[in-house]
Amino acid sequence: MKLRLDIWTGVLVVTVAVAAVLLIWPLSGIFWASFIDNSTGDVTLANYARALGHPFYQTALINSLIVGFGGMLGATLLGIPLAVLTTRYVIFGRDLLSTLAVLALVSPPFIGAYAWIMMLGQNGFLRAPLAEIGIAVPSIYGFFGIILVFSLKFYPFVYLLTASGLGTISASVEEAAEGLGAGTWRRFFTVTLPLVFPAVSSGALLAFVLSIADFGTPSIVGGRVRVLATTTYNLYTSELGGNPGLGSATSIVLIVVSMTVVALQRWAVRRRNVAGALIRKPVPVRLRPLRSAAAHGLCYAIVLISSLPSLVVIYTSFRRTSGPVFQSGFGFDSYVRILREVPHVIGNSFNYSLIAVLLIVMLGTLVGYILARRETAVAGALDSLLLIPYIVPGVVMGLAFVVVFNVPPLELTGTATIIVLMLFIRRLPYAVRASASMLKQIKGNIEEAAISLGASPGHAFLRITMPLMLPGIVAGALMSFITAINELSSSLILYVGRTMTMPVRIYLSVLDGEFGTAAALSTILLATTGIAVYAVFWLSGRKESAFV
Amino acid sequence: MARVVLQRISKSYPGVKALDDIDLVIETGEFFTLLGPSGCGKTTLLRTIAGFNRHDSGHVLIGGRNVDDVPAYRRDIGMVYQDYAIFPHLSVSDNVAFGLKTRSRPRPEIAERVARALDLVQLGGHAKRLPHELSGGQQQRVALARAMVINPQILLMDEPLSNLDAKLRIELRDDIRALQRSLGITTIYVTHDQEEALVISDRICVMQGGRVHQVASPQNLYARPATVFVASFVGTMNVLADCQVGPGGALSLGRRPCVLSSLAGRARVTLAIRPEEVILPDAVEQADAISLDGVIDRVTFAGREAFYRIGCGDGLAILAHVHRPSERRLAAAGDTIRVALPISRLHAFDPADGSRIDLGRSDPER
Ligand SMILES: Nc1ncnc2c1ncn2[C@@H]1O[C@H](COP(=O)(O)OP(=O)(O)OP(=O)(O)O)[C@@H](O)[C@H]1O
Ligand SMILES: [Mg+2]
Repeated sequence: MKLRLDIWTGVLVVTVAVAAVLLIWPLSGIFWASFIDNSTGDVTLANYARALGHPFYQTALINSLIVGFGGMLGATLLGIPLAVLTTRYVIFGRDLLSTLAVLALVSPPFIGAYAWIMMLGQNGFLRAPLAEIGIAVPSIYGFFGIILVFSLKFYPFVYLLTASGLGTISASVEEAAEGLGAGTWRRFFTVTLPLVFPAVSSGALLAFVLSIADFGTPSIVGGRVRVLATTTYNLYTSELGGNPGLGSATSIVLIVVSMTVVALQRWAVRRRNVAGALIRKPVPVRLRPLRSAAAHGLCYAIVLISSLPSLVVIYTSFRRTSGPVFQSGFGFDSYVRILREVPHVIGNSFNYSLIAVLLIVMLGTLVGYILARRETAVAGALDSLLLIPYIVPGVVMGLAFVVVFNVPPLELTGTATIIVLMLFIRRLPYAVRASASMLKQIKGNIEEAAISLGASPGHAFLRITMPLMLPGIVAGALMSFITAINELSSSLILYVGRTMTMPVRIYLSVLDGEFGTAAALSTILLATTGIAVYAVFWLSGRKESAFV
Repeated sequence: MARVVLQRISKSYPGVKALDDIDLVIETGEFFTLLGPSGCGKTTLLRTIAGFNRHDSGHVLIGGRNVDDVPAYRRDIGMVYQDYAIFPHLSVSDNVAFGLKTRSRPRPEIAERVARALDLVQLGGHAKRLPHELSGGQQQRVALARAMVINPQILLMDEPLSNLDAKLRIELRDDIRALQRSLGITTIYVTHDQEEALVISDRICVMQGGRVHQVASPQNLYARPATVFVASFVGTMNVLADCQVGPGGALSLGRRPCVLSSLAGRARVTLAIRPEEVILPDAVEQADAISLDGVIDRVTFAGREAFYRIGCGDGLAILAHVHRPSERRLAAAGDTIRVALPISRLHAFDPADGSRIDLGRSDPER
C-alpha cells in the first residue's frame, strides 16, 4: 500500500494534533494529578483510597448514581409514552409537541432548577394552590427536585430517539404480530419495544450521562444532597482546604462511571442493530373519543409541564423590580439592570460561541468526511477518541484544562481563548457525527462519478459533496451553537470577571437571590435558542431527530 | 477509444482473493462483458480499471500506457453505476455538462454537446429538470449521457440495468448497444445476467472466485464452454456429474453401451448437454446416443416453448426442451418417456478440475 498524500492526510494530522493537545493532554494531566499527594507532592494511591473509602465521598458517589438512574428512569417513563402515542395514534398538534419538547431539551437545566424553586420552593407560587386541593408536594430541595428537573429536562432525548426508531419499524411486522393473536399490550411488549430497544436505550443513556455530569441543578436545588460533580468542583475551588489531587481522583471516578454505563448500553444492543428494509410506513390509528382524550391529555401534560420553567422564567423577567426585590406590576427593570451592570456578558456569550462554532464547522465537516469515507485504522482511532467528550463531564473537562493550561508553554487560564477552546473541543464531536451521518446518506459513488468525469478528489468534494451536505452542516452548526451558548459547568471553572458568560452570570445571580436579572438573562438565552431551533427545523425539513 | 490490457492483476481483501492473476485484452471499440455470480470480483476488476481501487500486483494499460499510478480522474473514463449516481442537486443538463466543465471546454461547445447527448438518450425535453423529477430509467439515461458526452477512452458500466423493470431493461439494453456501436467507444460492462450478456456483448469474460474461466464470443461461449462452471452458468445445461468410464471409453449409461473413444484411458468424466439437444421419443431412434428411460416429473409450458423434467433414476434429472409445444400433444407428469442424448451434442469435462475435454469432432456451430 502506498501512503496517500492528499488533503485528507493533512486534515487527519491536524485533527490528531488537536485531539492530543485539547483532549489527551488535559485528561492525562488530571489522571496524573489524581496520583499526587496534596501536601507532600509524592506519588500515592491515597486520593483514590479516600475518594472511594471515605463516607463523605462514598455518599457523593451513591447520590450521583441515584440522581443518574432517577433522571434516566424519569426521562424514559415520560419519553416512551409520548413517542408511542404520537407515532402510533392520531394526536393533534404533533409538531407543536415536538417543538416544545425540543425547546425544553435545549434550554439550560439550571434554568429549570430555579424556576421549579419559584414554583414549588418554600414560598413557591404553586405550593399553596396545590396544598389547597390536597396535594402535598415534598420539599423541592434534595433528590425530588434534582430528579424532577432531570426527568423533565432529558425526556426529549428518549422521546425523539424512540419516535424515530418507531418510525422505522415496518407496519407489516406489528400487523403480523397482531395476526398471530397478540393484543395491543402484548404486541407492544413482545415486538415493538424489543425492536426499538436500541433507540430507547441510547436515549436513556444520554439522560444518565448528562444527569451525573450536571453541575448546576444539584447545586441549585440539591439542598444537602451532594453529588460527585458538585463535590469535585468544591475540591478544586474552595479557598480553604482545596485538594486538587482528591478532586482529580473523584473526576476519574465520575468518568469511569460514565464509561461503564456507556459500555453496558453498547453491550446490551450489541446484536440488536436489525434495521430491516422499511416496507411500509406505519399509519397512525385514530383512537375512540374517550381514549383519544386521555392520550391527548397525557401528551400535552408531559410537554406543558416540561415547558413550565421557561414560561415562569420569561414571566419573571418582565416583573417590576427594585434592586433584587420584586414589586407588583410589569416592566423592563431587569433588562435595564443587566444592560447597565453586565452588558459584556451577553457579548462574550455570543462571541465565544460563534468563534467556537466557526472552528467546529471547519474541522468537524472535514473530520466527519474522513470517518464516513475512509476506513483506515487512524480514522477508527479518531472515532473512539471523539467519544471522550461525550463521556467526560464538563466540570472534569474544565478542571483538566485548568491543570495543564495554567503554566507555560500554553498559559491560557483567564483568557477568552481557553473558554473558546473548551467549547470547541466539547462540541466538536457532535458536528463530526452530524456530518458523518449526513455523508452516509450520500452515496459514495456520486463522488466517484464526479472523479470519473475528470474532477480531482478535492474538486469533487467541493462541487458535489459539499453542496449536498450543506443543510446538514448548517443544522449541525446551529446545534453546536445552541449547546455552546448554554454551556455552564466548564465555563464556571474557567471564567474570570472579564470573560464571564450568560450562563455563569445566571448561575451566580441565582445563588445571590437576584432572580430578576437571572430571569432576564435566561430569557435572552431562551429567545436565542428558540430562534436557532426554529432555523434547524426549517433547514432539516422538520426532523426533530436533528436534535439528538 | 482505446485498447485495454490487464496483466496478471491480483487483489486481496482480508480473507478473500477478489482477483486472482487476471490476464485480459479488451480490443478497441469492443463491447466486452464481465459475467459471473455475485461476489466473483466483477466490480473489483471494473474499479481497478477505473482507478478506484489499487491492485496488489500486475499492470493496467489503457491505450498502451501504463496507468497503475494514474489517479481515476486522469484516466479519461466514463462510468455508469447500478444506482445511477446522478448528482441530485444539479439539473439534468448540469449533470451532463459536469465532465465537460472539468475539462474546461468553452461554453458554446458544452451547450452544444450536452444538447446532442441528451437527444441521443431521448431526454432532449428534460434538460432543466432535477433528477428527482425523473423516473429510474430516465435517470439512468442521464447517467449514460453524462458518461458518453466526454467521449471517454473507455466506458465502464456496473450492472446499469439491474434496478430497472424487465421491459425497460430490454429497451435500455438495446439503446446502450446501439449507442456504443455508433460512437465506437471501448466498453466494459458488468452483469450477472447471462442472457443480457449474450445479447449485448462482442465478447464475454466469465469469472468465478476471482478467476477468469473463459473469454469468448457469445456464440462460442454457448457452444463450447471451457469449464463445467461456464457450461452451467451460461444458458441451461443438464450436467451428468462424475460418470464412470469403462475401458476404451465405454460409457455404462443408459440402455445400450456406447463408446466415446476420446475418453479412452480416463476413469471418470462429467458429461453435459443442453435441453434443446435432448431428443424426445417420437424422433427417429438414434444410433449414436445415450438412451435413457425415465418418468416425467414436471411439465413447464411457457407458450413459445415447453420443458419436461425427467427423472431417470439415481437422482439424475434431465431437462428436455419441447419444440413448438402448441403443435403437439404434451405429455403429463407421471408419464414414462425415453430420451436420447446424442453423442455429437455432448460436452465432456474433467471431473477433477472442470476443464473441457475435446471429444475430437468439429462442432456443428463452427
Ligand atoms: N472493500 C472491500 N473490503 C473487503 N472485501 C471486499 C471489498 N470489496 C469487495 N470485497 C470482496 O471481494 C469479493 C469480490 O467482490 P465484488 O464486489 O467485486 O463482487 P461482484 O462480482 O461485483 O459481485 P456482485 O455481483 O454481487 O456485485 C467479494 O468476496 C467481496 O466480499
Ligand atoms: Mg458488483
